[in-house]
Amino acid sequence: MDITELKGELERLHGPSFGWALSCCRRDRADAEEVLQTVYLKILEGKARYRGESNLKTWLFAVIRKTAITEQRKRLLRVLKSKASSNSTAERTSFAAEPAAAFERSEVRERFQRALECLPARQREVLHLVFYEDLSLREAADVMGVSIGSARQHYERGKRHLRVSLNREELDYGIRWDRKETPDAVS
Amino acid sequence: MELDGTEKRLQTLFRELKLADERIAPDFKGVWNRAQAPSSGPSRLFNISLAVATALVVLTLSSLVLWSQTWRESQPFNSGLAAGPARIDLLPPPPSAMPGLIHPGVVEPANRARSNRGNRKVVARRHPNLNARNADVRKADSISKWQSPTATLLQSPADNVLTSLPQLDRSVTELKTFLPNTPSYQNRER
Repeated sequence: MDITELKGELERLHGPSFGWALSCCRRDRADAEEVLQTVYLKILEGKARYRGESNLKTWLFAVIRKTAITEQRKRLLRVLKSKASSNSTAERTSFAAEPAAAFERSEVRERFQRALECLPARQREVLHLVFYEDLSLREAADVMGVSIGSARQHYERGKRHLRVSLNREELDYGIRWDRKETPDAVS
Repeated sequence: MELDGTEKRLQTLFRELKLADERIAPDFKGVWNRAQAPSSGPSRLFNISLAVATALVVLTLSSLVLWSQTWRESQPFNSGLAAGPARIDLLPPPPSAMPGLIHPGVVEPANRARSNRGNRKVVARRHPNLNARNADVRKADSISKWQSPTATLLQSPADNVLTSLPQLDRSVTELKTFLPNTPSYQNRER
C-alpha cells in the first residue's frame, strides 16, 4: 500500500481513530490529538508499517494504543521531573476541561463517561472497541494484544462493572439494568 | 451479533459519545500536516549532523594516514641506518649513543622531548619489532667504532709514509719528497 492510498484510508478512519485515541488518553482531547499526530508521524517515517497481515483498522488502533501508552509514560516522567508541575497541571486541566464543557449539555453522557473512567483500563478498552468502534471481540483482542479468551473476560467484567456503577449513579435510561441477559451474545 | 438489553443500552450510550467526539474531532488535514512538518525538520537536522560527522571522520582518518606516512619516511634517518658512511673514531662512542641515555650538553625543549617520547610510544605500539631492530643497529654501530686499547702503541711518526703511496710516473727527486729527512717533506709536514 503506497502512502497516498494509506493517507486516504487514514482520512476515512480519522474519526474512529480520534475516538480511540481519546479513550486511550482518558478523554483528554489535547493528548489524543498529540497521540494521533505522533501516530501519523510514525507512519510517515516508516516506523509503523502496515504489512497487510491484519485489518488496517485493527493495525492502526494497535499503533494508537501503543503510542498512547508510550506518550503517557513520557508525560508521567515529565511531570515527575518538572518542579513547576503545578502550573502545567493547571494548564492541562483547562485543556481537559474543554470536552467536559461540551458534555455538560448531556448529563447522562457525562455520568456515563465518569462511570467509564472508573473501569480498569483493559475493561474500558474492550468495551470501547466493541461498542464504540464496532469491532468483534477477536479484533479487539488483536488490538489489545491479548488472547480472545482474555478479551472476553475483560468484556464481561467490564460490562458488569459498568452496569453496577451506572446503577450507583442512579441513572435513568428508561430501562432496568438488572434485566435478564443472553449469555454468549457476543462472538 | 445478537445483543442483550445491557449491551443495547451500552451501545446507545457509546454511540452518543461517538457523535459528541466527532463534533470535537480535529481536522484530518491539520493533524496530518502537523505530523509532516516536524518529520522534515529532524530528518534534515539528522542529515546535516550526519554529514558533519562523516566529514570529521574522513578528516581524522586522512590526517592519520598522512602522519603515519611522514613518520615512516623520517624513520630511517632517525634510526641512523641511512646516515651515510660510518665514521671511524678513535674515541669511544659518546654516551648519547647508548640506549636510554641523554647527552648532558644537549638540552631539548620540553615540548619536543615530550612529543618525541609520545612518538616513541606510538611507534613502539605499532611496530613491535622496531625496538629489537634499533638495538641491533646500535650494537652494530658500537662494534664498528670499537678500538683496541693498545691501538695508540701502534702509532708512529712514519704513519704518513706508510699510509701514503708514491706515484710511479714521477721522478726520483720528487720521490724524495716522501722521505722524512728531506726539506720538502718537512715543508709538507708544516
